[in-house]
Amino acid sequence: MSHAINKATLKRNWFTISSLVSKDFKLKYRRSALGVVWSVLNPLLMMIVLSAVFSTFFRFDIPNYPLYIILGNTLFALMSESTTGAMWSILDSSSLIKKVRIEKLIFPIEKVLFQLVNFCISLIAVAIVMVYFQVAPSLSLLMLPVLLLFVVLFSAGLGMALSALAVFFRDVCHLWSVVITAWTYATPLFYPVVVLPDWMMPIMELNPMYHYVSYFRQLLLDGTVPGLQENLLCLGMAVVTFAIGLLIFKKSEKKFILYV
Amino acid sequence: MPEVVNTTPLSGFSALPDESGRATAISVEDVSMIFNMANEQLNSLKEYAIALARKELRFKEFRALDHITLDIKKGDVFGILGTNGSGKSTLLKIIAGVLEPTKGSCTIHGNIAPLIELGAGFDMELTARENIFLNGALLGYSKKFIQDNFDDIVEFAEIKPFLDMPLKNYSSGMVARIAFAIATVIVPDILIVDEVLSVGDFMFQKKCEERIQSLIKEHNVTVLIVSHNNDQIERLCNKAVWIEKGHMRMLGSAHDVCQTYRVLGGHTGSKAAEDRVFSMLTSPVQADESLIKPLEADTPYAMAARLSSSCREEATDTVVVAYGEYEMDGFLGAGLASALDAPVLLTKTDGIPDATSQEIKRLKAKRIILVGKTPYCDSAAFAAALEAATELHCEVEALSADTYEGLSLAVFDYGAQRGLWHGPVVLTHIGCMGDMISLSPHISEQRCPLLIKSPGKPLSNAIAERILAHNNDTVLVLDSEEGCPDAQLAPLREHEKGIVRFCEDDAYQANTVIRDWIEQQRGEGHRVRSFIAAPSWQPAYSYTIGPYAAKTGSLVVLDDPQDLDCVARAIDLFESRRGEIDQIVFVGSRTQFSPLDKTMLAKAATVETQA
Repeated sequence: MSHAINKATLKRNWFTISSLVSKDFKLKYRRSALGVVWSVLNPLLMMIVLSAVFSTFFRFDIPNYPLYIILGNTLFALMSESTTGAMWSILDSSSLIKKVRIEKLIFPIEKVLFQLVNFCISLIAVAIVMVYFQVAPSLSLLMLPVLLLFVVLFSAGLGMALSALAVFFRDVCHLWSVVITAWTYATPLFYPVVVLPDWMMPIMELNPMYHYVSYFRQLLLDGTVPGLQENLLCLGMAVVTFAIGLLIFKKSEKKFILYV
Repeated sequence: MPEVVNTTPLSGFSALPDESGRATAISVEDVSMIFNMANEQLNSLKEYAIALARKELRFKEFRALDHITLDIKKGDVFGILGTNGSGKSTLLKIIAGVLEPTKGSCTIHGNIAPLIELGAGFDMELTARENIFLNGALLGYSKKFIQDNFDDIVEFAEIKPFLDMPLKNYSSGMVARIAFAIATVIVPDILIVDEVLSVGDFMFQKKCEERIQSLIKEHNVTVLIVSHNNDQIERLCNKAVWIEKGHMRMLGSAHDVCQTYRVLGGHTGSKAAEDRVFSMLTSPVQADESLIKPLEADTPYAMAARLSSSCREEATDTVVVAYGEYEMDGFLGAGLASALDAPVLLTKTDGIPDATSQEIKRLKAKRIILVGKTPYCDSAAFAAALEAATELHCEVEALSADTYEGLSLAVFDYGAQRGLWHGPVVLTHIGCMGDMISLSPHISEQRCPLLIKSPGKPLSNAIAERILAHNNDTVLVLDSEEGCPDAQLAPLREHEKGIVRFCEDDAYQANTVIRDWIEQQRGEGHRVRSFIAAPSWQPAYSYTIGPYAAKTGSLVVLDDPQDLDCVARAIDLFESRRGEIDQIVFVGSRTQFSPLDKTMLAKAATVETQA
């Protein structure tokens, strides 16, 4: 009996989430001439700018440098955009939360899934670049869903924590954009990790995004699958972050209505 | 908001029948909701840290709900009444599951469709079609359910031609229609309606009400309604609760609660006064409706015309007309009219109101005395306007002056030359409305001249001369010691004039004192049998009440249905004269006294006949 109810609730919540995702998607491209093409064009243009800048000034010795950049950027964007979106999600839906009894977890989760959809579209851009540099995908591509699961769990965990904190302290919203910028530079997105001095490596090991970005590149650029230990590490970081985020959210969600 | 709001429970009507046999739909048990006011204003870490450092994180509690216990049975249509900020919406939110109570618990049996503010979750950029699906999803409907009922929603909302238009291009009424249609397409076990029926046009409101009615009748849905519209709750509900400042005041049948709320809700007054009014309201006495004589009109001008026509049927030569925008013009006009035994009417500075010109026509007046200050008092303009409106050619004589003192002297002299004045001089100041209305029966009856003292100045020689010349030993002073010091009146005393001063803390007390005094002057055997209830909030309706009161021998009772102390006093008065009262005349605009207000006063005056 309770199992059946849970299943029904889950199904209903899933419909709500998918409706919200489709709303966000429609609103994002409404009245732009190119529409969804922007999801492909954007990472491409970004890649061209970055590779033009960095291949002239720094001359890193990286094969298929533009592909290296676009892989790092798109995956990092998945995390940064979804956490930022999730952070605002509760505040933005305050009118709804105040009036309708609704599972509040829906809102941050939906933002993360919406960015996942965007990410999948921008994979077209990645494919275009791979064709251009004639990098053939290997069977390791099959591990991509696993990586995405890690990143989504990780982002959702951060997003839930941020969305809850943002309700009580709006400062979080301002702070987070700074953190994201710092994080962008602290992650080897357009430079090779080897340029870093040795003493920084142990610190870099603590950066989950470093692991995820490396994982992504390994799958598509090198055509190899990271080892079991690396997989467990990535999973561990995702699950712990998710659990902490969920805990913070669940502990505070009852008070949201008093503060939004 | 009034400073005195009573929040104690009331009981007087018969208790609800025992319903323990019926299934409970909503059970609210001892719910309290406490908001922490100080803490909620801290919106940033910095503010929080500063407050923490200063040890200012004190808790300022605000109790929105205080120990509320309700048991709503399945199939009940339950109304929640209360003034703004009484915690009605908080209670609904707790029942809807949006808000968690600080203390107590709320148990729901069945699914709920909350209509707390329509259209939450609409996105103005999306089309109506997209919004129907999105909103349905947010309300927890399944995709199939929305698809199956899509046509019903569109039909109810009447938006078929505009389905694919963004919502931002819709009118707010259309948006409300869609929202209501989505929310009520489902047949819930419990429906919560919060003020939604106040949106949209008349047709839509009717449609919504019909839909709610059909849910109640056909599907036995339990409904919870919050509304400011008393009549709506009485019409739709079977039970109701009145919540005031978070406290439960009354729980009972919708009829009883609504009736009580109508008389007591949001009104000020002491606890004792409220109890007095409440016991009168609930007393089983059948009011003698023949005591009630409504004499109401839409405007003060129509009121004056109505007062005039109800004391005089035949035509008359002379009519006094005063400017109704200014109280002193009105009182001076009424005083002069009584002395002349002529009717008094009111006019406006920017034209003659229809009611006034029609009454002048009916009276077949030939001569008009216009009372007003310069520059607006213009006899030529008045004559022209009257002729244009009624084709009546009247001789218009203006009594006018620059100041009210001057105007009152002009009126005095006009009457004195013709030997009209008889009673004691009434010395008053500008703006003394309540006391003037209270005294106006006496002024008209005794033909008292009215003299108006200029504010802030000593008693002028002109006034003193007139008072001394007037052939009456008494002077009635309607002013405080401050406004008209005794020292200034000393010269009058030297000439053996008796001074009677009326000055009380408020107009109601003065009303009682003046009424008693007038009655005493009339002497034994002249008990007053007719009273005029005049609204203190609309004095303009009572400027010309004097001639009518004199004609019917009535005295004025200043009343304000909003002020329970005042109502209680009126009840006391009528009750003490139970059986001696022939009529209670209600003057004022049509909405000033509700039928219930009138019935209640009549009840006080009604002699209970033993069956």
